[in-house]
Amino acid sequence: MYEPKIIGFLCNWCSYRGADTAGMARMKYPPNVKIIRVPCSGRISPELVLRSFREGADGVILLGCHIGDCHYATGNHRTAKRMPVLKKLMEYTGIEPERLYINWVSAAEGEKFTTVIKEFTETISALPPFVETMK
Amino acid sequence: MTDRLTTLRKTIENVLPNVEGVLALRIGPGGITAPHLFSKEHSEELDKLALWPKEPVPDTLKIILRAHPDAKLAIVCRGCEERGIVEMFKHSQLNLDNLTLIGLQCEQDEAEFCRCAKPFTVHSKLTVGEPIEGVPDPLTAKIEAMSQPEKQAFWKQEFEHCIKCYGCRNICPQCFCNICALEDETWVETGRLPMPNPSMYHMVRAMHMTAKCVACRECEETCPADIPMAVHFRLIARDVREMFNYEPGASMDQKPPQLLVLEEGEYERSGLPH
Amino acid sequence: MIDYKNVLTTCPYCGTGCALHLQVLDEKLVGVLPAKNHVVSEGGLCIKGWNVHAFVNHPDRLTTPLIRKNGKLEEATWDEALTLIADKFGEVKTASGPDSVAILTSAKCTNEENYLLQKFARAVIGTNNVDHCARL
Repeated sequence: MYEPKIIGFLCNWCSYRGADTAGMARMKYPPNVKIIRVPCSGRISPELVLRSFREGADGVILLGCHIGDCHYATGNHRTAKRMPVLKKLMEYTGIEPERLYINWVSAAEGEKFTTVIKEFTETISALPPFVETMK
Repeated sequence: MTDRLTTLRKTIENVLPNVEGVLALRIGPGGITAPHLFSKEHSEELDKLALWPKEPVPDTLKIILRAHPDAKLAIVCRGCEERGIVEMFKHSQLNLDNLTLIGLQCEQDEAEFCRCAKPFTVHSKLTVGEPIEGVPDPLTAKIEAMSQPEKQAFWKQEFEHCIKCYGCRNICPQCFCNICALEDETWVETGRLPMPNPSMYHMVRAMHMTAKCVACRECEETCPADIPMAVHFRLIARDVREMFNYEPGASMDQKPPQLLVLEEGEYERSGLPH
Repeated sequence: MIDYKNVLTTCPYCGTGCALHLQVLDEKLVGVLPAKNHVVSEGGLCIKGWNVHAFVNHPDRLTTPLIRKNGKLEEATWDEALTLIADKFGEVKTASGPDSVAILTSAKCTNEENYLLQKFARAVIGTNNVDHCARL
């Protein structure tokens, strides 16, 4: 059993606050996720996700505001358009598309944040380490 | 073939007096074809007019129009090249007002060589040859049917052959950014061959071709390592059609999905959680 | 009047001999197109071939020989440079023998130029120390 490395890109306005809410309520979630705060989930270009994998991440999780709640009005629309295509590309290249996960977590949803992280960590733990599969 | 060639020559001769030049293929020294700008001053050059092999004419058009934005030109384009021109227009790379499109319909063997689904023009007012139906793409179907570990092994092997000549980017009619992400060391590592797997170069390029690739297959043809990269682009193009209802080059006024916000029903088709 | 030309030529970088078209627009070199139905390269080029147009008019390109005088490289004429080279070769050859000289030829030269250079090394200098940058 290995400990997967997971990179979490969290939007500053909703999901990062959601993680704060979870922390303040002392909810427990797996420590495998290394959180990177970004101004908006729309900031995450496919290049950033791919680079995370190249640097040895086993999974990448992307959390942003719910559609319609974006601080920049339509920033997360970009995420919703790009990331499904990237998941498809990963599938076509032979990388498990489950390694990339997109969801929406608002500032109040501490509970949802912990469940999402728990479930994703379980999914990634079931997969072999990414660097091994790429050798 | 000769029949199409004669008709094309006649069409060009009719168009020539009204334009500054017609961009088409010419047989050069040693029988090597290349794009050429035919002009009314040198109409005898039309003796050397050629149809095949397909050359990146839209790319040449782009170079000429960058220096002469108001030039009145005509271009002989196949279905894929016409789609490329339409997409370049949508991304503000050229002006269609001064451009006359002469559509050249592909023949069965040419379409099969390109595994082309749409070997015909749709926007050109002047056309040469009879349009034919698209042909199936056995290579894409074969790769898509592979299991996940098979795909992984297949692409690893293909990307290992890449010598990073950047030819696929240079020849692409849709690659016109002044600053290219593939030249940025943050994304694409320099000085290492074969590239580390998964190949950042090919993955980033495939992402950037989303809703832009017009399936002209110029990239595959110029690749010295024969990497079938168009397979990626075609599979993604199918998903883009399903998710965003967008086909590059199909219509003049439909905007590319990456420039727009989500529309009704698009989110539901993306497969993201609700 | 738009003046667009494709000039068919051979890539000067290595011995493979890929064919390419230099795109000339209004007397200026603007780009490279591979030659699709050429027997050698079949439409392929490597990164050097794709950028072959970049060095032709580059401001850093040397157009005259340079001679180091008092630690500084100064522009010189071909006569000056060749006289200096001949003098130095002569000096080295008399002091330490012909095998103290080595000749490096180039893939950018033609076959005939390379032949001449090895002839020069063997017949004039008297050494077999000849090598080549594209010795693959």
